[in-house]
Amino acid sequence: MAVMANSNQLHGKGHVMEPDHEAHLREEHLMLDPRPRSELNAMVMESMTTTSWKFWAVAGFLALVVAVCLGYYWYLMIRDGMGIAGINKPVYWGIFLVNTVFWIGISHAGTFVSALLKVFKAEYRRPFTRAAELMTTFGLVQAGLSIFMHMGRVWLFYWLFPYPNERGLWPNFHSPLAWDFLAINTYLLSSTMYLTMPLIPDFAMARDRSTGWRKSLYRVLAMGFRGTEAEWRHLRFAMNLFAYAILPVMFSVHTIVSWDFAAAMRPGWSSTIFGPYFVIGALQSGLSAVSMVLIVVRSTMKNMKYFIRPEHLDALGKLMLIISMSWGYFFFNDYIVQWYNGDKYTDLLLHFHEAGPVGYMWFLMIIFNVVIPWATLWNKKIRRNPTALFIIGFLVNVAMWFERYIIIPTSLSINRFPFTYQFYKPGVEIPLSFGTLALFILLYMLATRILPIVPVWEVHEGQAAHSIKKFGKEPVVTISDLE
Amino acid sequence: MDNKNLLLAVFADIDPAAHAVDLLRSLGFGEDQISVISGFPISEAMFGRKPQKSHVPLMALGGSILGLLVGLFFGVWTPLTYPLNVGGQPLVAGPPVIIVIFEMTMLGMLLSTFIAVFLDSKFPNLKPMEYVPEISDGKIALLINCEGHNCDAVSKELQQSGAESVRKAEANPL
Repeated sequence: MAVMANSNQLHGKGHVMEPDHEAHLREEHLMLDPRPRSELNAMVMESMTTTSWKFWAVAGFLALVVAVCLGYYWYLMIRDGMGIAGINKPVYWGIFLVNTVFWIGISHAGTFVSALLKVFKAEYRRPFTRAAELMTTFGLVQAGLSIFMHMGRVWLFYWLFPYPNERGLWPNFHSPLAWDFLAINTYLLSSTMYLTMPLIPDFAMARDRSTGWRKSLYRVLAMGFRGTEAEWRHLRFAMNLFAYAILPVMFSVHTIVSWDFAAAMRPGWSSTIFGPYFVIGALQSGLSAVSMVLIVVRSTMKNMKYFIRPEHLDALGKLMLIISMSWGYFFFNDYIVQWYNGDKYTDLLLHFHEAGPVGYMWFLMIIFNVVIPWATLWNKKIRRNPTALFIIGFLVNVAMWFERYIIIPTSLSINRFPFTYQFYKPGVEIPLSFGTLALFILLYMLATRILPIVPVWEVHEGQAAHSIKKFGKEPVVTISDLE
Repeated sequence: MDNKNLLLAVFADIDPAAHAVDLLRSLGFGEDQISVISGFPISEAMFGRKPQKSHVPLMALGGSILGLLVGLFFGVWTPLTYPLNVGGQPLVAGPPVIIVIFEMTMLGMLLSTFIAVFLDSKFPNLKPMEYVPEISDGKIALLINCEGHNCDAVSKELQQSGAESVRKAEANPL
């Protein structure tokens, strides 16, 4: 490098920039800034094993919130019945289903980031695929819990399973709710398997440099993985197949969730565009949540600033902007057709959304989902600023929760029978919602102590595939396809 | 493999390891006497070797077919057995059956692929194995069965070809 710099100084002012450009490329892109694998391993191990008292204080607080808000209030609801929840006639579906749709939406980000970006060979995905996939699994756990809460008699959950029984009861496979059961379980199992497979080589790495209980744990979790050609071959084929196959499953899940509403002949729900509108909504909240999680991981976990860089926030910010534009398009498309059709009750409902008791949610939904992302995310400096991106991501998630609230309990308040109109005032749902949020964060925090949050072997592979080549005088990035 | 005849040669990078595989071939070693172990994904093509046999694609296909049959069972057989009139729809209606079949086929394919990885890789395997932790630090190891060859001579040749270390392979708990 020193020789190169001297040589450039001899060649005049314009060429002095050349090594700077190369240095900038290396500083900017993780894939061009390789470190020895042993160092990468040590950094990831250190990030897992270094835990401050603040971590345990936060974890303890969250555990308390889970125990009180989730454990105690759920116990109360089981003891006293669904009457202590805010649901009523005609608002049979309340915040539990708002949360179900919200968490399923959050879960879409993991698959989107990991599978879609892998299929399109977006190299920047490598360090944060696992952080995103973890959100899928833990998000689906919260969605499942919310459905169980909504059931009321949760101990009879197994009635959902199709099996011969003396009651003569059988799931109705013509119902979107039965499709939901199949789709969500397929997605939960698939995404958990998709999370597990690439973890095996990293568990082996952790096994090789752990002692004590961690050694015993990782020894079991690594299952004897050594990295033979055959093991890599099986793993690689399976991961490629998963990347392609899990995408239609992901799209099907939120489309089927949308059919829970769209298949009903209700004002505001009966819409042919609800499927893609829900999928885009899921990506809108999911991608924003991924950005938020990455920013927290980057700023709180040791060594993570090396792996998660402004380039990653920048890329996610661009995706958030594109998805925000798509959400705006689908929202308007859904809105204008309903507005135009002239149906009296649909018209009434649309006005109720905007000017009813939760009209502020409707306006904030538009501002947080469209106005703020469009006004800010075009700017590179904002996209690369962790604090700004975190705030935008947070606002988008608030907006997406509001959107589900408007679609479900608000829309149910108004229907074709004016004598049944009734507003929805949530009761026990509020602490239970905080309980699921706390459980999600707690599970995620604990997972970061056990699971290597960065897929080291994928980063290593990516760094091995990248190089800087001179194209004339210009240093350009070249990528070898090692897969 | 007999442990007595096993050598474990560790290389810093893929190029000397690939040259060592060529060297072993020139010494008369068969492909089945050499195994390559690495901490990051390697393909057989990187060492000029034939692809390893994998049952994963076949298992994935089998799982898809099984999933499709389960989907047909849920979507076609059960409505006929437990008839429910839903809004005047036929008992076996095309669109709902497509959804059920799709979900079950995908689940069957993905589940069988996952299981196939475990079966083909013989996971979980907690028996002692020939391995060194340096491999997960990015080194490439060749596990060589030198039966029919002079192990010491092969060891020297490998060291001269750029191996960082060559030792008798011992099975240790991982």
